[in-house]
Amino acid sequence: MSNHGSHNAKPKDRTDQRAEVALGALASAVLLLIAFMIVFVFSKAWPSFAHNGLAWFGGGGNVDEQLSNIFNSPANPADYVYTMHAWPLLYATALITGVSLLLATTISLLSAMFIVEFAPDAMRRVLQPVVRLLAAVPSVIYGLIGVLVLVPFVGNQVITAGQKESVQYVIQLDGTSILVGILVLTVMITPIMVAIVTDALRAVPRSWTEGAAALGVNRWRALRTVGLRAARPAIVAAAVLATARALGEAIMLSMVSGSVAFAPNPLDGVTFFVEPARTLAATVVDNAEGLSVKPFGQTIYAFAAILLISSFFLSFAGWVARQSMRKYTLQAR
Amino acid sequence: MKNRLRKGALLSALALVVAVPAAVPAAAAAKATITMSGSTSVAPLAALLARKYLSVCRHCVNFKLLQGGSDIGVADVAAGRVTIGNSSRDPKPSDPGGLVFNKIAHDAICLITNRANPVPGIDQAGVKAVFGGSVRSWSGVPGSTQSGTIDLFVRTPASGTQDAFQKIFMGTTKIFSGAGQKASNGLIEQAVQSDPNGMGYVSLFFTRNVNVIPYQGVPCTLRNAKSGQYTGVRNFYMVTRGPAAGAAKRWINWITHTKAASKIIATQWVPLS
Repeated sequence: MSNHGSHNAKPKDRTDQRAEVALGALASAVLLLIAFMIVFVFSKAWPSFAHNGLAWFGGGGNVDEQLSNIFNSPANPADYVYTMHAWPLLYATALITGVSLLLATTISLLSAMFIVEFAPDAMRRVLQPVVRLLAAVPSVIYGLIGVLVLVPFVGNQVITAGQKESVQYVIQLDGTSILVGILVLTVMITPIMVAIVTDALRAVPRSWTEGAAALGVNRWRALRTVGLRAARPAIVAAAVLATARALGEAIMLSMVSGSVAFAPNPLDGVTFFVEPARTLAATVVDNAEGLSVKPFGQTIYAFAAILLISSFFLSFAGWVARQSMRKYTLQAR
Repeated sequence: MKNRLRKGALLSALALVVAVPAAVPAAAAAKATITMSGSTSVAPLAALLARKYLSVCRHCVNFKLLQGGSDIGVADVAAGRVTIGNSSRDPKPSDPGGLVFNKIAHDAICLITNRANPVPGIDQAGVKAVFGGSVRSWSGVPGSTQSGTIDLFVRTPASGTQDAFQKIFMGTTKIFSGAGQKASNGLIEQAVQSDPNGMGYVSLFFTRNVNVIPYQGVPCTLRNAKSGQYTGVRNFYMVTRGPAAGAAKRWINWITHTKAASKIIATQWVPLS
């Protein structure tokens, strides 16, 4: 019997070995692919950064005019135009992503708490699959709804003729706006966060919240002080994932947030929210047509490089945040 | 619909590249090969024409059709990498010397407004004032039934249509920097369709749900574009290094001089004569 067993174990080991090698190769291939992608994007983007230096990240001039000049560069490589001051695009990306993330975090925390602790069973059975379904809806569908319904509504009903006139020589208010962009983006990323936070809250050991209840606090306070605190690393992970999706969102934002490289001015008061802006990802998508013109392509790659860097920083920041929270959490047990 | 047609044309172009050399390997050595690269707007037309040309002039030529944009076509042909560079823009002063731009077809660009605002006509000064941003209110446009701010919709800088609009309609006047930029003809049509204060420009094909403004007194129709009365027309070119010769000359002559070719062009574009 033991002989039979060892006889059996030998080929099994070999299978394991083969699996190990195959999976290891696959994992290394992925790492290599990522490394190759980084090198490729940065080597393509380098001339744009090199010609502008730190001014690349600054403001000044009109980004669309700069893009147009780059596109119409003379044929001679020595005369290529590279001038680019991308601040309005960076600002738009940070503004739209940041505000959407704030809204989405608030909404998703509250609704996850409701689903886990307060929702009646029947409601929970409906809510959970619906949230997961929403998390999987392709962004272009949100974009279509945005551009066909929300943008005309904001343009024709919300924005007043007076508002339009007040800024008409600077920028055009036609409904494509950071307001619609932020709204649709929030709707897009909230379900992902709800799904992750719900799972995390459910994973908090019952005894912890029960311990709190035994000390006399109510369910709301136990959830807030014990449940949410224990689930913090998961909340950070959810936020990182949602931000990554928001950063990379191109098609939907290109459709609804306005395709003008304009930096909305908070000093304009309420009008600020209906001013258009264009994120980095949307700029890449909108201008893909000109990739074949060399300096123009290199500028587009520079936008892509910034997006790549920000997503790395995002993952890194998420990791750091989770490390510092470890002592309060499940892993610390 | 147009996109689907174009996609079909592109696919068939790819098929041409693959199928034609494979079909007659024996004769291939003796045959001339015409390589083309450049404008993505011209490519579908070139593919349709090439397919027809192969059926009338069997085994006389091979085609290879690549894309990349007008500027790529011009650069490629100047460097001798291709026989013909396709271009949907006019010659630029910065283009390399010695190139011949052979005109093969026209494409009309129409000015559009919302159905609720049937502007009866506009001249070039009017277009310059509106798209340049010096007139920002519909009350400054004669014949407009709307009041309030004009919402302009234009194409992104990389677009060939944008380039053509700038040259034909705007001259040296800069387009208003606050205008909404759209990535395609379809998005401009949609924006103007849903915005009573909207105005934009599109290729003739995208005008079904909007009001088309007569430009300098001439309505933007295929017929007027063909007759030459409508001046908002851009050209499609096949660019050669020096005057076309040999197989390329016969091919360009066939496009510009035969009924069969102009029939294909007339389905979506404007033939030369």
